[in-house]
Amino acid sequence: MAASACLTLAALHLLVWSRRRTAWASLLFSLASVGTAALAGCELWMMRSQTPAEYGMALRWLMAAAWVVTVSLTGFALVYLRAGRSWLAWTVVGARTLTLLADFGSAPNAAYLEISSLRQVPFLGEAVSVAHGVPNPAMPFAQLGLLLFLAFIADTSLSAWRRGDRRQALIVGGGMILVATAGMIESVLVFREIVHRPFTAAPFYLALVAAMAYQLSEDVLRASRLSDDLREREQQVALAADAADVGLWVWTTPQDTVWGTEKLNPMLGFAPGEPISGEAFLTRVHPEDRAPTRQALRRALDEKSDYSTEYRVVLPDGRQRWIATRGRVEKAEKRGSLRMLGVCMDITHRKQAEEQFHLVVEAAPSGVVLMNPEGRVVLVNRETERLFGYTRDELTGQPVDVLVPERFRGDHPGYHAGFLAAPQARAMGLGKELLARRKDGTEFACEIGLSPIERGNESLVLLAVVDVTARKRDQAEMLRLRDALAHAGRVSTMAQLASGLAHELNQPLAAILRNAEAAELLLQKSPPDLVELRAILADICKDDHRAGGVIDHMRAILTRRAQEHVELDVAELVDDVLVLVQPDAASRKVRLGVEVPESLPPVRGDRVQLQQVLLNLVLNGIDAMADVPAEQRRLVVRARPASAGTIEVAIADAGPGVAAAKLERLFEPFFTTKPNGMGLGLPISARIIQAHGGRIWAESSAAGATFYFTVPVSGAA
Amino acid sequence: MTKASPEGTVFVVDDDASFRTSVSRLLRAAGHQVQAFASASDLLQGLPATGPGCVVADLQMPGMSGLELQAALAESGNPLPVLFLTGQGDIPTSVTAMRLGAEDFLTKLAPKKVLLEAVSRALARDARERAERARGQAARARFETLTEREREVLEHVLRGQLNKQIAGDLGIHERTVKLHRTAITNKVGVQSVAELTQLWLLAFPKGQ
Repeated sequence: MAASACLTLAALHLLVWSRRRTAWASLLFSLASVGTAALAGCELWMMRSQTPAEYGMALRWLMAAAWVVTVSLTGFALVYLRAGRSWLAWTVVGARTLTLLADFGSAPNAAYLEISSLRQVPFLGEAVSVAHGVPNPAMPFAQLGLLLFLAFIADTSLSAWRRGDRRQALIVGGGMILVATAGMIESVLVFREIVHRPFTAAPFYLALVAAMAYQLSEDVLRASRLSDDLREREQQVALAADAADVGLWVWTTPQDTVWGTEKLNPMLGFAPGEPISGEAFLTRVHPEDRAPTRQALRRALDEKSDYSTEYRVVLPDGRQRWIATRGRVEKAEKRGSLRMLGVCMDITHRKQAEEQFHLVVEAAPSGVVLMNPEGRVVLVNRETERLFGYTRDELTGQPVDVLVPERFRGDHPGYHAGFLAAPQARAMGLGKELLARRKDGTEFACEIGLSPIERGNESLVLLAVVDVTARKRDQAEMLRLRDALAHAGRVSTMAQLASGLAHELNQPLAAILRNAEAAELLLQKSPPDLVELRAILADICKDDHRAGGVIDHMRAILTRRAQEHVELDVAELVDDVLVLVQPDAASRKVRLGVEVPESLPPVRGDRVQLQQVLLNLVLNGIDAMADVPAEQRRLVVRARPASAGTIEVAIADAGPGVAAAKLERLFEPFFTTKPNGMGLGLPISARIIQAHGGRIWAESSAAGATFYFTVPVSGAA
Repeated sequence: MTKASPEGTVFVVDDDASFRTSVSRLLRAAGHQVQAFASASDLLQGLPATGPGCVVADLQMPGMSGLELQAALAESGNPLPVLFLTGQGDIPTSVTAMRLGAEDFLTKLAPKKVLLEAVSRALARDARERAERARGQAARARFETLTEREREVLEHVLRGQLNKQIAGDLGIHERTVKLHRTAITNKVGVQSVAELTQLWLLAFPKGQ
């Protein structure tokens, strides 16, 4: 029964081996099983033998079976555990074969020189035969062979154990050692007739075969589970590949066959199910990209390196598609052939986007520079080439600093590092003069906008450079024109005023002169015409009054507009005026300061007139600083509550100040310290302030002149 | 500073009463006869048909301006010289005024000396022009005594033609031409053709 079980197992594994010729372990296991079955059969034969000759024959064949078992087990251990020294294995086989030769060379077998008699002993309730005779001196050879076998198995198992295959080492190696040891001891005990019982090694080997069978079937199971897993994983990968819109492929050379996932065929322009080969693939590649693609493939195969290309594929309908491919070369199972595993992606959209990006960048009216985190130029456009005089090949890879004048280069890297640390879109150069350097070393004023761009995990910065030379020139020209216009306006108004004033005053003044001259002539006569002289004096007085009247009239004209007294916020008043003056101040490099507390009570007055006074005083202050170094030109407007319900406003300049003698005359009409002044601004201002019930005066120190005026607080009587 | 001033009346025109009065006073005190008017049209109406003098006018007056007054005077039978006074002189106006024959162009605040000298100069000019006009008038009177035929012959003589040519042109005998010439010189009272030409130019300074 045990033997038939062994044979069944043997048949099974023979089958396995016949299906998979590389499964040598299965063949060896089958042999071992067959040997074990034979062993069992021989033992039974020995127990049942009636004559010493029969017993001897049975024992001889038992030895042969034992040879088969040990030799096949040795082979099995070698193959299955994939360890062991082969010279030791061959020694085992040699020793066992010698034993076999001794077995068949001497009569009756290797165990006995002569079997004298058989005795019947009880065994498991039955009477079985046991031999009695002269032991064969060749027997120790057999045992030596077994000992060598033990040593070999121990060594092999140890190696397997050390390698990590502990389970196999324990079950196969350990089992073999146990069984072989048991068999050896039993053979010594039985054939030396130390114990009188039949030889029964077969059950041990049977157990070993069972254990090995278990282990093998376990392996078979695991293999099939693995192949299931593998198939499942393959499906998952294919699914994932499909879902990710990529095509997976395996290309085997030199057979030139391609296996691919479902997406691969349409991607490369093949019909579904159409077989693909490397050569067929290359015919689909755009003619311009064919040679580079072929080269890339060849290099990857030659160097067994990774492969990465981007190429265009021309579909049967003529459309083009951009494909990116990554691959890896590995050895195929078959000798001499290589496998390349790879993935194809359709990057047409990306390429189109890139192309659009390039078109947009190229057509941009400003210079575009793409900079990497190291501050090196990645890309520039045509306008940049034009602006800076470099070609793009000269710029690409260069530090962006080459576009900055040398003297600023120190600051610049820090600046863009700061920007990269907290990147956000910003326009540079607003209110700040940035200079850029051309290839020929000349510089130009520019405005630079910065935008961070994330590409993958790389932070790039897009710089947009605009040449503002022309704009700045236009602005300067505009400012100049406006100033000229304003000045002309002011001058012409004043000139008109002065001309009118002069004409009006000329009449009485001329009359007075002529009268006085006439009187002079009359007085030379004797007697003088006293009546006429008296008339002359009366006329002189009259004309003098008349002249005074003209001046009053002019003053009235200058302040003619009906005054409109309303509540006014001083801070607002000051702000309004400074807004008007700001451009003037900026063009003349004067910094304006305001020190007006928020809590000031409102004043009462005529907005336009008070603005006129402020404007006048501020412009005077700016004029006064024309000859002062630019960094000292500062004008401050202060306001504070003063005595008796008034607000005092002070306009302080940093000019040379006013001489004490001139200080008193400042508010006289036609008194001026300016080369082109009319001497009317301050008298008019004084008149306005007086009309408001306030006071106006000037103080001067080494630090400059300060003009003060007061206006009553609203509600104060 | 009184100085014997030439004959004539100074006509003062100014819309400004006090200046008019004061300047009249000064001129009077300087020994001039003065008549004052408040406007140019008043002056043209009140101006005597003859009689020496000069005009001292304000350039800028309401109504007729100084330049218009100057033009009107030049057309009249008594073209008195004009001296302009102005509150403030501007170059274009003064250039125009001078080109039209203004005697001078002064500001109202000009020094007395300058003003009085200018007035004297204007009066002297008037006297000179007046005498010239009188001599021309006398000469014209003499030429007016000639007969029609004598005038024809005179015109040819003044062109410098010889008797023979004149006889040919007029279709008369050379001897007749000679007779006419003698009559002309006798009537006009000259001795030579040169004298005759001089007198003719005095009588008709503008060619005819």
